[in-house]
Amino acid sequence: MVDLARVQKELQECNRDVGVSGISVTLKGDSLTHLIGTIPGPLGTPYEGGSFKIDITLTDGYPFEPPKMRFATKVWHPNISSQSGAICLDILKDQWSPALTLKTALLSIQALLSAPEPDDPQDAVVAQQYLRDHQTFVGTARYWTETFAKTLGTEEKIQKLVEMGFPEAQVRSTLEATGWDENMALEKLCSG
Amino acid sequence: MVSDSIPNASIPVASSNPKDFAKKKRANRSAKLKQCKLDARREQWLSQVKNKGSKDEMNVGGNQAPATNVANERGRLIEKLEIKPRAEEDNEVNIDSSNHYSDSDSNSNSPISHTSSIMEGNDSAANFAGSSSSSISSCSGTGGCCSGSLSEEDEQGDDDDCLDDWEAVADALAATDQKLEQHHPGLDSPREKGENVHLSSQTNVSNGVTGIDTTKQKSEHRGLASRPPVSCKAWRPDDAFRPQILPNLSKQYSFPMNSERHCHGGALWGCKRLSVPTSCPICCEDLDLTDTSFHPCTCGFILCLFCHKRILEEDGRCPGCRKQYNHGSVESEATVDGGSMKFRLARSCSMISRS
Repeated sequence: MVDLARVQKELQECNRDVGVSGISVTLKGDSLTHLIGTIPGPLGTPYEGGSFKIDITLTDGYPFEPPKMRFATKVWHPNISSQSGAICLDILKDQWSPALTLKTALLSIQALLSAPEPDDPQDAVVAQQYLRDHQTFVGTARYWTETFAKTLGTEEKIQKLVEMGFPEAQVRSTLEATGWDENMALEKLCSG
Repeated sequence: MVSDSIPNASIPVASSNPKDFAKKKRANRSAKLKQCKLDARREQWLSQVKNKGSKDEMNVGGNQAPATNVANERGRLIEKLEIKPRAEEDNEVNIDSSNHYSDSDSNSNSPISHTSSIMEGNDSAANFAGSSSSSISSCSGTGGCCSGSLSEEDEQGDDDDCLDDWEAVADALAATDQKLEQHHPGLDSPREKGENVHLSSQTNVSNGVTGIDTTKQKSEHRGLASRPPVSCKAWRPDDAFRPQILPNLSKQYSFPMNSERHCHGGALWGCKRLSVPTSCPICCEDLDLTDTSFHPCTCGFILCLFCHKRILEEDGRCPGCRKQYNHGSVESEATVDGGSMKFRLARSCSMISRS
């Protein structure tokens, strides 16, 4: 069973200093085992200005087993799968310690964003590009950040979708239904 | 959700009142926690008794703790085997007793010098071709008897069995160390100074060479005692073998309260944890007096006994420094027990074969 007391305490402590760290953890649903972590892209990197969401699933063994973490936001990085968002980071695998917390794990991921390890890649294509054509890599990473990791205000989102030709009322309701995820809302609008 | 977190299945599912349910759950959990802590406390106590016992040359109440028992038993066994002529024993016993001999042999060097004794084994095997005949015939009494059997044992001593056994019972054997050293001061002399023995007269063997050798042994002893994997103690700041990367704890030594255990607040937990934390960093439960006085790792990472037990059941690494929890904990005790089982068997076998 997940140690609920600990998870609750972690949530409290992490969200207490969001202002300083910029790292927050929120519940995904009713359950304490599915969480969403948010980290700001580190300054001075192609990820600057982005806000990256990380899907967190706590296994029964937590905190004795590492939390399962995966990028929900698409990101162009040698150690993060551009397809699945899987993260290649030792502390999320064999180097996990129960003394680490969700916040420290998210901090480590943030550090990974600013210091890629192309020699131990998760996404071979990105790693190749990082090593051979660094200029293009930076460009792509920045473009992905702009495209997928920039959070717009609600009004901006509505504006953007209305500009695409959807009626405002429908856009608003669809965005509300999808939790203000503009990509999901767009899909829904297109299909529906 | 709730039923997930109930440790015991004995709670009736029919209890409809959620408050009752939660209450029972809490009671049950705390009971389990208590039991767990008692267990861990017992383990801790046992390991303390074991350490103490071996320091006091195992004269402390033999029947009180199994760990001391093991040490006692081994002590007797070794003595017994030393006196016994090897020819009488059958094959199976020979293998076991060879382990004993190798133990007692390296014991006289130091409790740690196992590797060196094996390495010497090769040399001495070669030396012995020349020296064994003279040393056996020349040395009289127990010393001679022992060195005679050593020659055979050294050839077998390269076995892996021997290595495993040695490491497992190193703690228990530490107690017999000094005793054996007194009994066989010249034990190593024929092996190391094989050629000397060959050339020199009998008086030289018993006087001069022995003197040189014991000093040599002692210096060897000291050098090896500071080796990391076996000594199981925190690094001394002035230790030559201490890795450079380790942080300097000298500041913490200056705190009078930690001078004894060396484990108050390691590098990672330094400044913040100079005062003992009030709740377990792993499960966030409050730490009681037993927990706060429980120092499972030299890095000073404190956690509750409940979490410590859980970690031991899994990979057994300290959450603070990721190093393996070692010795004085459940794991090493288990292997010592296993070792004693084996020795007990060997003993009974030899008795059967003799009668």
